[in-house]
Amino acid sequence: MTGTHSALRLGLAGCHSCQLLLRVPARVRSSTLRCPRCGAVVHPRKPRSLSRTWALLLAAYVFYVPAMVLPITRITTLGRLQEDTIMSGVVYFFQSGEWPIGLVIFVASVFVPVLKLLILSLLAVSVQWRSQWRPRDRTRLYRITEMVGHWSMVDVYVVTLLVALVKAGALASIEVGPAAFYFASVVVLTILAANAFDPRLIWDALEEAA
Amino acid sequence: MTDPVSQGPEEIPPALVEERSGWSVVWLIPIVAVVVGGWLAYRAIMEKGPEITIVFESAAGLEAGKTKVKYKDVEVGEVTDVRFNEDLSKVLVTAELQPSMRDHLREGTRFWVVTARLAAGQVSGLSTLLSGAYIAMDPTGTGRPQRSFVGLNKPPVITGRTPGTRYRLEAESLGSIEAGSPVYYRKIRVGQVESYELREDGSGIVFGIFIRAPYDRLVHENTRFWNASGIEVSLNAEGFRLRTESLVSMLIGGIAFDTPENLERSGPAKPGTLFRLYSSREETTRPEYQRKERYLIYFTDSVRGLKVGAPVLIRGIEVGKVVDVKFEFDVDTLDFRVPVLIEIEPDRVQLTGSGDKGPGRAFDEELVAGGLRAQLSTGNLLTGQLLIELEMHPEVPPGKLRVEHGYKVIPSIPGEIDRFKQGLLGVLQKIQRLPLDQIAENLNATLAGTNRIANSPELLQALEHLNATLAETQTVANDLSTKTLPRLEAVLQEAHRTLNDLGGLVRSDSPLYQELMVMVKELSASARSIRMMSSYLEQHPEALLKGKRP
Repeated sequence: MTGTHSALRLGLAGCHSCQLLLRVPARVRSSTLRCPRCGAVVHPRKPRSLSRTWALLLAAYVFYVPAMVLPITRITTLGRLQEDTIMSGVVYFFQSGEWPIGLVIFVASVFVPVLKLLILSLLAVSVQWRSQWRPRDRTRLYRITEMVGHWSMVDVYVVTLLVALVKAGALASIEVGPAAFYFASVVVLTILAANAFDPRLIWDALEEAA
Repeated sequence: MTDPVSQGPEEIPPALVEERSGWSVVWLIPIVAVVVGGWLAYRAIMEKGPEITIVFESAAGLEAGKTKVKYKDVEVGEVTDVRFNEDLSKVLVTAELQPSMRDHLREGTRFWVVTARLAAGQVSGLSTLLSGAYIAMDPTGTGRPQRSFVGLNKPPVITGRTPGTRYRLEAESLGSIEAGSPVYYRKIRVGQVESYELREDGSGIVFGIFIRAPYDRLVHENTRFWNASGIEVSLNAEGFRLRTESLVSMLIGGIAFDTPENLERSGPAKPGTLFRLYSSREETTRPEYQRKERYLIYFTDSVRGLKVGAPVLIRGIEVGKVVDVKFEFDVDTLDFRVPVLIEIEPDRVQLTGSGDKGPGRAFDEELVAGGLRAQLSTGNLLTGQLLIELEMHPEVPPGKLRVEHGYKVIPSIPGEIDRFKQGLLGVLQKIQRLPLDQIAENLNATLAGTNRIANSPELLQALEHLNATLAETQTVANDLSTKTLPRLEAVLQEAHRTLNDLGGLVRSDSPLYQELMVMVKELSASARSIRMMSSYLEQHPEALLKGKRP
């Protein structure tokens, strides 16, 4: 497979700061490389990409449970407190016939985060196992994950706006429930996890095999 | 194509290698996440209070996830599920309570749905109009821990651990009493009616009442409870009476109690003691007599005004009451009769005398044979109420105690009014029987005869003769006064002297009088001995021959 060598395979890497091409040792497990010119840290692949991805993913999974179970809004109407979780809100909108809104909330709050988590998990697992299965599709999946991440905070935005808007004192008020924090954490953690993942690792497995 | 790597390896400087230590800090994030998640889970498990199931008849206003469980208006839990039981007859409400309530969920803890309601003169639960119904909890239980409860249909009247005692009352009907009706002691509100239920056999109502703590010691074993509801107006043979306990009880009914002074004080009543609920205060003062004997009385006169419950009196003392008044028609004799069943309480009469004429005597038979008769008499002239009087009438022919319809029959005599009426009728009939026309005719004839005599010439002649006769008499009288009278006077004086002498003879201190007195005594003594002798001879005629035996 001549001409499909990655830079790393050829023992080369570029400095992120000054774009200097550097020669790097083949195995750089427990050492940090520095650019001799600008002194910036050089890494041919994102350092500890896989373990960081795993760590963030794990944290995201852990936080996803309270994000779903705990109430995200506390609506007080005429002294009557009503707590809603994300799913109960979705169910409410579907039952009351407002299914487009329900669908939006479901997609933004449940479908997308779960999808991101699952895709990242799949990628991490495949890299861990040095799988050679459909590297191109997997890279595309990674791109989708990054792209979709921008929209996954819709829920938090909605809640924030509602809390700011509905302040009618004793008549009605909306408070942020604890789930909002965990949900935001999940979103941030998945973004970080996606960021930590180095898609070049998908291809490294192929080169190693070759 | 040139290979940049092979072209100038010298031109590509090697990266500086620095030793790096340890593991990535990024792993702190999942550790923190796990710690936070674990803490959340731990708190959720710890905060997860006991889950209870309450069975309600209906789930009006109960919503899973919204309806709260409250104790003293403080939220202690939330309804998590509302569903039916298998045969759809009841609603099973599952609620999750706070962990602090765990120890208070015991047998006897009560739950009920609080909604706005108007009962027993009180408006309650108005706040639920806005906030929706909630389940109230009353952790009075001290029994075994329990997780499944039966909800009350109505809010309990006494909540919390109010000190006091519960009793039960039995009555024939509910009256105007309802749950929440007050209980009074000398017009102080000391408790409330908690519940009431029909006896299983439908023979009466059993009330549950609660008397608050300092007052419950006033309830003795012989305490009498009575219905103090509304205005009590009684119009009976004893007159007209109006009584009320309080304005509240007038509207929503109430119960009052007191311990009669005439009964012996007994110990405090045990909780749950069953008392009788009398229908009025008056009834409670009536002593209770266990022994009751029933008699039948047939009346032939009108019993209008005789009501069931009318008193039966002997010499004006109540000894019983009328139990039933019926009406009979004898098809054989075509006669109407009114059988009245009365109930006599023999224990009302205190027995005196030695009673040595033998036990088990049938007093009633003896009394009836001696002339005991029943009669109707007017108890109240204003209302015409009748009562029954049992009196001895020695003048009536002796009767006998019959038995009819399984009851002993006391014979009756017409009542006072009836007798009065009959007497009046007799007089009227006698007046009617008088030959008034004939008398008038005779009288007329007599008068005519008299008239004729008065106007006759014979009468004139007779009068003239009478005149002459009178003149003669005049002359005779004159003679008498002039000649005869002086002589008569002399005779009288003579007689007076003689009588004076005689008076001296018979004066009490005169010897003649004394002798006479002695003689009279002698005479009476001899008369007595003659009487004795004659009576002795009557009994012992043989003494004439044989002489008196010693």
